[in-house]
Amino acid sequence: MNPSAPPRLALRLAETLIDERVREAVVGDLVEAYRTHQSPGWFWRETVLAIAHFPARPRLGHSQGDGTVIGFLDELGRAARTLRRAPGFALLCAATLGLGIGAATAIFSVADPVIIRPLPYDHPERVYVVWENDQNGERDNLGFATYSDVTAAATHLASAAAVTDWEPVLNRNGTAEQLEGSRVSWSYFRTIGVRPALGGDFLPQDDAPPRNGVVILSHVLWSSRFAGDSSAIGSFADIGGRQMRIAGVMPADYDDVLSPRAQIWRVLGYDQTLPYACRSCRHLRMVARLAPGSTLDATGAELNGISARLVRDNPKDYPAAGFQLVPLQREATREVRPALGALLAGVALLLVIAAVNVGGLQLARALQRDEEFAIRSALGAGSGRLTRQLLAEGLVLAAAGGAVGLAVAKVGLIELMSRLPATVPRLAAVRLDWRAFTLVGVVTLAAGILVGLVPLWHARRGDLAPSLRGGRRLAGTSHRLRGALVVSEVAVAVVLLAGAGLLARSLFAVLSVNAGFDPADAATAAIQVSGPRYADSAAVLVWHDRVLEAVRGVPGVVGAAITSQLPLGGNRDAWGVQAADKPLDNPELAPSPDAYRVTTGFLRTMRIPILDGRDFVDGDNAAQAAPVAIVSRTLARRIWGDERAIGKRVHMGEPDRPWFTVVGVAGDVHHRGLDVGETMQIYVPTHRWFFTDNGVDVVVRTSGDPGRLLDALQRAVLEPDRATVITRLATLAEVRASSIAQRTLAFTLFGVFAAIALLLAAAGLFGALAGAVAERLREFGLRSALGATPGDIVRLVLGQGLGLTATGAAIGLVAVLAGAGAIRALLFGVGTRDIVTLVGVTIVVATAAALASVVPAWRAVRVDPIVTLRAE
Amino acid sequence: MLGEFEQLVLMAVLRAGDDAYGIPVHAELVRHTARDPSLASVYKALERLEHKGLLSVRTGPPTPERGGRRKQLYRVTNAGQKELRAALGAIRRMARGLDVGLEPS
Repeated sequence: MNPSAPPRLALRLAETLIDERVREAVVGDLVEAYRTHQSPGWFWRETVLAIAHFPARPRLGHSQGDGTVIGFLDELGRAARTLRRAPGFALLCAATLGLGIGAATAIFSVADPVIIRPLPYDHPERVYVVWENDQNGERDNLGFATYSDVTAAATHLASAAAVTDWEPVLNRNGTAEQLEGSRVSWSYFRTIGVRPALGGDFLPQDDAPPRNGVVILSHVLWSSRFAGDSSAIGSFADIGGRQMRIAGVMPADYDDVLSPRAQIWRVLGYDQTLPYACRSCRHLRMVARLAPGSTLDATGAELNGISARLVRDNPKDYPAAGFQLVPLQREATREVRPALGALLAGVALLLVIAAVNVGGLQLARALQRDEEFAIRSALGAGSGRLTRQLLAEGLVLAAAGGAVGLAVAKVGLIELMSRLPATVPRLAAVRLDWRAFTLVGVVTLAAGILVGLVPLWHARRGDLAPSLRGGRRLAGTSHRLRGALVVSEVAVAVVLLAGAGLLARSLFAVLSVNAGFDPADAATAAIQVSGPRYADSAAVLVWHDRVLEAVRGVPGVVGAAITSQLPLGGNRDAWGVQAADKPLDNPELAPSPDAYRVTTGFLRTMRIPILDGRDFVDGDNAAQAAPVAIVSRTLARRIWGDERAIGKRVHMGEPDRPWFTVVGVAGDVHHRGLDVGETMQIYVPTHRWFFTDNGVDVVVRTSGDPGRLLDALQRAVLEPDRATVITRLATLAEVRASSIAQRTLAFTLFGVFAAIALLLAAAGLFGALAGAVAERLREFGLRSALGATPGDIVRLVLGQGLGLTATGAAIGLVAVLAGAGAIRALLFGVGTRDIVTLVGVTIVVATAAALASVVPAWRAVRVDPIVTLRAE
Repeated sequence: MLGEFEQLVLMAVLRAGDDAYGIPVHAELVRHTARDPSLASVYKALERLEHKGLLSVRTGPPTPERGGRRKQLYRVTNAGQKELRAALGAIRRMARGLDVGLEPS
């Protein structure tokens, strides 16, 4: 230890805690006197006495203050003024940090209520969704009889409820409006753990067939369509042509995670005598609340015991035994969880790279200010002083970044919300709230400290003497530090690029999937009618015909058909199909294809190929025609294997329903999604089914751009009945695109993050190389003078840049190989270790690195040896 | 009326001459009074005297042995000299004729 250096801690305390009026004089004296005393004890005693006599006190408006909170505020003000003199630098830093903070805040704000925060219900951790097992161990809905038996027998459930979708039409003030809703057991809301805000909850006696016309409204529906009128409670509304009593209104902040768009709930009102209340009528979801003190394991065991008994008593009604219990929040966010998790990770990486980049910029600036620091330091500015100054600058930059970030988050969140599918639960709870602001604050503080500390590390470790001697040579530590920053930036960029690459490959794989129909030059309208006029099936079929007639009259329409559901349209209507010649002991093991009720020209209009037999003809829809069906290839193979399907007879639903003769085999289509494989289909004529659909999809084949006749299509479908509700009007290509909207969004966001990360990494590399070249100009001049060719010097600079890049890329690629499993759920048709992606990422990064190195290399070559050597 | 320590500090400033900052002032006190006050108490007295207008202060140059910190240099003002003269005169008058073992000057 240098004998003339006083104890550092005591000196630091003196520098900080002695009042500024006399600080410089007193501390100077202490330091000077210490040279003769050489006694740390003496120094400590004198310091403590000096602090006791002249305690620092805050003084506003005095710029000499440091070491106190107010003093540090002064320091912040000084840092702000310093940065104002370098506006380009400050703006660049604020924009970079702001982008990172803003993106992170926006994604966090979406993820927070959806997958992070517990649902705002009473003891949400006790609420589970209960599924039946099917023969493949997959989850399946329940029939009402099963639900009744389970709730009657289970002792571990405090309450339970059955739920099914319900899409009623509200007729009010002469207009009809399609609503999204649910039919639920009377115990639904107490099972979830919420209560209506106005009026009352459903009562047990509401939940029975004669009285089941009782509804509860969402707050939005009540305030928009009922004008927020409290007299609406207890009154009756015309819903689907029936008068239903409004029992209550849910709280404004309630959103139903099991049916995110629900505006209205109606009691289920089943009893076991109803034909659709059977065990195999699996269209109900079950939600249950565990009794206080019951564990998941005990409840699961009890339910499985009940299941075993039900299967034993009703062997033909169950394909398999057992129930699956899934926590409500996990169930509700099942589809968005992988994407949101990956985006959170991606945006965190982006934030890191932004902070590292700004840290690198501050370091570069600190190197330029070496002389300033060296002089201050030589004149006795304590390292504490420099620490405060750099920290203050870091915090000011971060604060500016935080402010920009809030603006970015605000805009980003609005953009994001407009693109997120409405099926994502809890979107209503997404906002920039105090949790997001806390996150911004913490991140900003952390970024500020990081940005401040990076150059500080250099300033403290670096040898300042060379700067004073006029040399601009870089100290070894900061060389390594800057290299490390670049390496980490490249590594993070590689990780994000690989993520984006894998998602892009998945997206292309999904887009290249043949949907089984031709989405080009086709459009669709989903329409619905309701009311007593359509109580008769014949009236519905007449309406179908009149709609088709009107639609065929639209110029540009070359073919039209009506179907009960649309491939990739979001409906799921499947029926178990049994063949007359292949009887099954347990009908529940029968294949369950998507069932389409279609008008004659449907397959032709959709361009779904007929592989064997014939398409439907008009005669199939005649009054006395025999029931016929067309099956898809996979369904035919599943039932009959290599036997020919034509002429075989199949049956769906109750035993007294007619048998259908297979007249054709069609190509498979992707019904549930392009990325979930082909499903089986069965098509029957609308007139041959035992009920008619008053909510259908119209599809038209067009001769030109289908987007241009959507308006005419809309007018046409309204012609037969002005009260028709249109729930979708789109080209088939749009339907196909919206079926992968979430995947597209995840890729777009990841792509943007990766592009920004690549840009930042390239900028970081450029900065580091440009700085290194500037410091080595004399060396390059000398080398030129000694006969180095321009090629040698370019190789030198490029070698340095590519060396850093290669190290970063190697680290990044290792991280990708180790961590890509995290986004496995988002991938389609590509492995987590996809060599094309990894090679592609490497090429992109190498190209960016080469581009970032070109200008510094060019500068190095242009060094005039005479000029630099003369300067020496 | 000046306190005793204040009188001593004033005289120490006079003795230290042109380079009267904390350390020389302190050194004069140590040398002539056989006391070793803390630097802080010396500064406290200097500050008090300055407030009374008996000392003037200016900032001196930084030196390397002070770690680049600047000195505060003190000088006795005319008022200070007058005050000191009055105080010392009073003491001399009080001491005259008393046998306390001091040579009357």
